[in-house]
Amino acid sequence: MGRDGIAGLVCLVTSLALFAATIGLPEASLLVPVGPGFYPRIILGITAALSAALVIIDFTGRATRLEAPAAAPKNYRLVLVSFAIVGVYVALLPWLGFRIATLVFVLVMQVALEPPRSRNSWLRVLIVAVVTTLITYFVFERYLSVLLPRGRWTDF
Amino acid sequence: MYDLLFSGIANIVQIKYLLPLFLGTFIGVLGGALPGVTIAMTIIVVLPFTFSLDPLQGLAAMTGVYVGGSAGGLITACLLGIPGTPSAIATTFDGFPMVRNGEPGRAVWLGIWASFFGGLLGGVFLIAATGPLAAIALEFGPWEFFALFVFALSMVAGLTGGSITKGLLSGALGLVVTVMGSDPVMGAPRLTLGVGFLEGGINFLPVLIGVFAFSQLMSDIEKMGDAQQGQAAGPIPKLVVSHLKIIGEIIARPFLLLWTSFIGVLIGVLPAIGGSAASMLAYDQAKKFSRHPERFGTGAPEGIIASESSNNANVGGSLVTIMAFGIPGDIVTAVMLGAMTIHGIQSGPLFISQQSTLAYGIFAAYIVSHFLMVIIMALGARYMLRLTTVPKSVLIPVVLVLSVVGAYALNNTMANVYVLLVFGVLGYLLVKFGFPLAPLILGVILGDQIEINLIRSIMTDNNLWLFLTRPISGGLIVMSVASVVFALWQHRRHQKRNRHSTDGDADF
Amino acid sequence: MSKLLAAIIAFGLFPAAGFAATYPDRPVKVVVPWAAGGDTDNIFRPFAPALQKHLGQTVVIANVGGASGTKGAKEAKDAPPDGYTLYVPHEYIHSTYYTGVADVQYSDFEPICMIASTPSVLTASPKTPWKDAKDLIADAKARPGQISVGATLASTSHFFPALIEKAAGIKFKYVSYEGLAPRMNAILGGHTDLTDSNLTQKGKVEAGQLKFLAIATEKRHPEMPSVPTLKELGINVVYDVNRGLMAPKGTPAAVLARLESSCALAAKEPAFAEAMKLQGTAVRYLDRKGYAAWLKQTDDENRAISKDLGLLKR
Repeated sequence: MGRDGIAGLVCLVTSLALFAATIGLPEASLLVPVGPGFYPRIILGITAALSAALVIIDFTGRATRLEAPAAAPKNYRLVLVSFAIVGVYVALLPWLGFRIATLVFVLVMQVALEPPRSRNSWLRVLIVAVVTTLITYFVFERYLSVLLPRGRWTDF
Repeated sequence: MYDLLFSGIANIVQIKYLLPLFLGTFIGVLGGALPGVTIAMTIIVVLPFTFSLDPLQGLAAMTGVYVGGSAGGLITACLLGIPGTPSAIATTFDGFPMVRNGEPGRAVWLGIWASFFGGLLGGVFLIAATGPLAAIALEFGPWEFFALFVFALSMVAGLTGGSITKGLLSGALGLVVTVMGSDPVMGAPRLTLGVGFLEGGINFLPVLIGVFAFSQLMSDIEKMGDAQQGQAAGPIPKLVVSHLKIIGEIIARPFLLLWTSFIGVLIGVLPAIGGSAASMLAYDQAKKFSRHPERFGTGAPEGIIASESSNNANVGGSLVTIMAFGIPGDIVTAVMLGAMTIHGIQSGPLFISQQSTLAYGIFAAYIVSHFLMVIIMALGARYMLRLTTVPKSVLIPVVLVLSVVGAYALNNTMANVYVLLVFGVLGYLLVKFGFPLAPLILGVILGDQIEINLIRSIMTDNNLWLFLTRPISGGLIVMSVASVVFALWQHRRHQKRNRHSTDGDADF
Repeated sequence: MSKLLAAIIAFGLFPAAGFAATYPDRPVKVVVPWAAGGDTDNIFRPFAPALQKHLGQTVVIANVGGASGTKGAKEAKDAPPDGYTLYVPHEYIHSTYYTGVADVQYSDFEPICMIASTPSVLTASPKTPWKDAKDLIADAKARPGQISVGATLASTSHFFPALIEKAAGIKFKYVSYEGLAPRMNAILGGHTDLTDSNLTQKGKVEAGQLKFLAIATEKRHPEMPSVPTLKELGINVVYDVNRGLMAPKGTPAAVLARLESSCALAAKEPAFAEAMKLQGTAVRYLDRKGYAAWLKQTDDENRAISKDLGLLKR
């Protein structure tokens, strides 16, 4: 099975599961001639049908199978690491507060993307982290009165 | 109308509005010039800054980004041969050869002045057409709106990406996102998966930012780690030229300028086909109409004029669509619409009559920002190239932080940040599986409106045939079907021609 | 040293007093449960600077719209009861509870003050044939269930026409248009026949884009004396929408008192009164006690209306 087949199957299962979840939703009332499940069922039905079509097309091999691209090898490990760093940042944001979490995040993310090799590049990483945090904090909280998350642990 | 426009301009040149407009245009030009940073990305970064500005300040800044971004792409397109934004792809075809032929100033300034004139022509259309189109839009009942949204979605699904099935599926997935949470009529919870904050539904801005920003940034990250990225090429060429001569060169081709600007406007009005399609189509047209099509690709001035005038005129067209119909044509206008909603401004048929100060303020901002763009280019075009030396490892974390701030500050809740992250992962996976993102995003943006208009029409009259028998609605439905059929036909033909199609990266 | 000790003891003994003395020490968020630009937003935007002046802290309006206003209500209810998150409801909090749209009810909050009252006006599309409310009633009797009304279901714009239905013995058909702006689009384009609006739409009536059929006040309104009251027409319906300020249940009494006194002063600001005039709204100040009593009474009324309309779910 190709890439499309897998994607199609995942979408098919998801849409069918969601479709099943619409069963038991209240039906049409006196006031509204259709219930809250009416439109979702149409959409999920269409989604399921399109997913099924994708799987079938993939199986019958009508779509031109893509050759593995001969381009430069992609750095998926770094993508995973990046997602993980962003995930931890988002998870810790309400606990550490915007300032601390952002400082650490910008620092770690830079190091992960391009490990500093010299003292100068370490310095640059540090400066970028501090400046980004300070500028966003001051511009948003002080000047634009956008309230940023405060830390529940740190109260900062 | 002209009094309103002049008072709009008098209003916008106050420092209170001029400053955000200038900054927006400036950041737009920078973002446009930076390869890998699209206009959409730039506007996402600018969005949180506009939350607490007054509505016109925020919209002026965004208009500036849009205008500046559409022009900024030409710098890198001409000088480095790398389009700064997708809408400048066609500019590279002749801009870069012209630079290589030893005329960097001519190439860049032809582009800038073509953007300027194309943009202003788009502006004429914007100002003249918004009112009449809004009057037509007022006649749109729920049937017509439903049909219009379906048409927009089917067109995007058909036109983007390699596989129509995937395009349609991507659009459908966008609609699925909007059915989760609660129904729009009585607020009954549905498909909440037991998650509390889903009960209020999913806000489209964090979804849009997540899907779009993450898929872009992560695709950039994939390419990192291997050999050091190419630092900016050697000395920066001087761009001094005679502006009169350049302007003369453009004005001497009035038909070309008008036609390509018209194409830009038209593509702009149609929802969800962006500036890149406009400039490609305009370039193609210029080539077809030229007496010397063989000169295209070797540094023909017509190529630059066509591409750049159309992509700026396209901005004018997109603004018409959000202002008259309240429908976003692309990510940039979707974010602008989102920003309006945050300020409580309901865009739509009544916008121009009820909020005329704001509407004409936007018109004025659009026009003034073209002048600002020329000034910024004149002062800074040479130095913009240095920007390409900003390492991705710095740019990416900063953009991510601003995305998070943007999502959080929408309602001051972490829930939207979680939405951002979830859809960031999802968007990246979809790109990896070869799904076009444009239909998904449009689906998320239009989903609620499609549903509520469907239900409104049923509540008004339970005769479903009205969708087909009402003339505008019926026409739009027929066009939606036609656009999918056309896409299928084109796809077939394309497949027959070359059996090895390759699909592009995440372009939107 | 002894001073510090005394301060610590005082703080330990009277935490509420200490808290009240420092409240508010950071910006106060006011949750408006609808999109900005709606009536509630238009009323509280000018109120925020007035409140800010007397509270001595920034007052930020957060528009948390969606699901007939219940999304914002939930968010405000779940906020920590520290006086830094406030909430501004109107009668919908009662009607959505009894019709089963929302789980949040008014008793989940502590009242602070009522500030404004907006009378409802029965408004018709210019494309309708009726000259006045009498024509409408006659037409509605001839075509029961045919005349369409744009309304936010289970909210005030639904209850107001529903009360007219009952009083006049007629039957409408409802179409869901949440919020005033979409309702106006639909009625101007003639896609619905009737809707509930208020005096903010006066300009459109004068321009011939809308028709005011009747106002739901006791006496004719000085702003638009040509519009008859429903009572004059023999339809005994008086209806207005009243907005006030609330805090989540459990907010300390000292904080509530501080908010109440600031609110009382803010409601007297001439700039606020001026802004309310533009909103077709009267400043109606009720203190905590008065507002609480009003809420209790209104809650009973809404329960009764829901029951009468056959919408009661609780």
